[in-house]
Amino acid sequence: MEVNWTRKDLLSLYDLDPEEIVLILDTAEEFKKVSERNLKKVPALRGKTVVNFFVEPSTRTRVSFELAEQRLSADIINMTASSSSLQKGETLLDTARNIEALQADLIVMRHSCAGAQNFIAKNISSGVINAGDGAHGHPTQALLDLFTIRQKKGRIAGLNVSIVGDILHSRVARSDIWGLIKLGANVTIAGPSTLVPRDFEQIGVRVCHNLKDAMEGADVINLLRIQHERQRAGFFPSTNEYARFFGLNKENAKYLNPDAMIMHPGPINRDVELDSALADGPQSVILEQVTNGLAVRMAVLFLVSGCLKK
Amino acid sequence: MSSKRRLCNSRKMDDAIEGVADAIIAEFSRKKEMDFAFIGIQQRGVPFARRLIEKITRKTGFKPQFAMLDTSMYRDDIGMRATLPVIRETDIPFDMNDQAVILTDDVLSSGRTIRAALDAITCYGRPSLIRLAVVVDRGNREFPIRADYAGMKIIPEEGKKILVEFKETDGSDGIYEIDWSNPTKGE
Repeated sequence: MEVNWTRKDLLSLYDLDPEEIVLILDTAEEFKKVSERNLKKVPALRGKTVVNFFVEPSTRTRVSFELAEQRLSADIINMTASSSSLQKGETLLDTARNIEALQADLIVMRHSCAGAQNFIAKNISSGVINAGDGAHGHPTQALLDLFTIRQKKGRIAGLNVSIVGDILHSRVARSDIWGLIKLGANVTIAGPSTLVPRDFEQIGVRVCHNLKDAMEGADVINLLRIQHERQRAGFFPSTNEYARFFGLNKENAKYLNPDAMIMHPGPINRDVELDSALADGPQSVILEQVTNGLAVRMAVLFLVSGCLKK
Repeated sequence: MSSKRRLCNSRKMDDAIEGVADAIIAEFSRKKEMDFAFIGIQQRGVPFARRLIEKITRKTGFKPQFAMLDTSMYRDDIGMRATLPVIRETDIPFDMNDQAVILTDDVLSSGRTIRAALDAITCYGRPSLIRLAVVVDRGNREFPIRADYAGMKIIPEEGKKILVEFKETDGSDGIYEIDWSNPTKGE
């Protein structure tokens, strides 16, 4: 059955039907080809204005979105918290309404508060794409992960996917989990018990606190960046100890299937969550994730911009 | 209830495609060498191009190259249509520069798809010439675009549009007149 995209916003993968997720991935396949041509630009968003509103700092996601917008021929404005009137005490909604009043078609938004984008999307007519909200969601990262897995493995349903690291604070993990579950993968999460809550079992995720258990039988292992401030907050005793128990290295990699994919959303702490040689090795798809991120973001921008009410 | 009235059976449709193949052969056999490639516009320009290649190869021994093109990213009505078009596969396996190409589509109506296709083609290269072949020319043009080869000309009744079905995409061959309100099929 053919699915039509009808959403002006992309806020969370939790909201989407599996068919809608597949539609985004299929659309991204064709946008990926655009970036492989000599002339890497299409006129799909010509005349549309996109505001990249990053209240929380971001480099790679912002650059990826910006390039995706340029390849679609959109006009772009970049705003950060420090360059906006949020600094002067303006409310988030007022800032967003001002962007809307400038006839912006789309707002790509990152915010440190979970749900900020949902709140804004409800209150303005411009389309809103979530580029990360607190520990809640990062849907385009999950979509690029799904795209990369499907590209390498040919399918998602039935695959064993393990996500290792700080699940508690990770919006990438939450979006990945929803996307993977909706497309029929078996998801395992692993890490120190302080960072991997058992609550996730309620949505059908296997929880383990041992890296070896997460590695055995995995088709995909996705290692999350461990943030040093979590150590300072007492979630684990030391970075070295984290690396010893939950870092993927040459020694424990023997428990991994030889054809298992190694993923990481970046930026990597080399030799902490992931051994440097493995990050650059044949099982790693980390740079392909970055390439695919561009295609997936082009697809999302295209689909969402096609559903704006004029 | 939406109506679907058959205008042509599979044999008459095949005759029309045969006529297009003959016209293409007639034009290109007058040139120094018989060399051209087909670009089928998604979705039903694709089986049409394949049929033409099969017929031309059988008649002349020359097998034209085949490509397929989706024009959705190049349309001028994104966001204005009731539904967003589904982007289908584009695959152009040959160098378009200095190549004579024949664009194929099922129905030529407003000409907007063809305009988008011409725009898309220029992103891939600079063909030496571009021709347009369609199964049905139904009039109703909104752009100064015409078909070089048309299997037949049918002007449908007001409020109706033309649907060309292929075995490959729809299960069987046939040309139909359907209600304009049917959002998913035709033109």
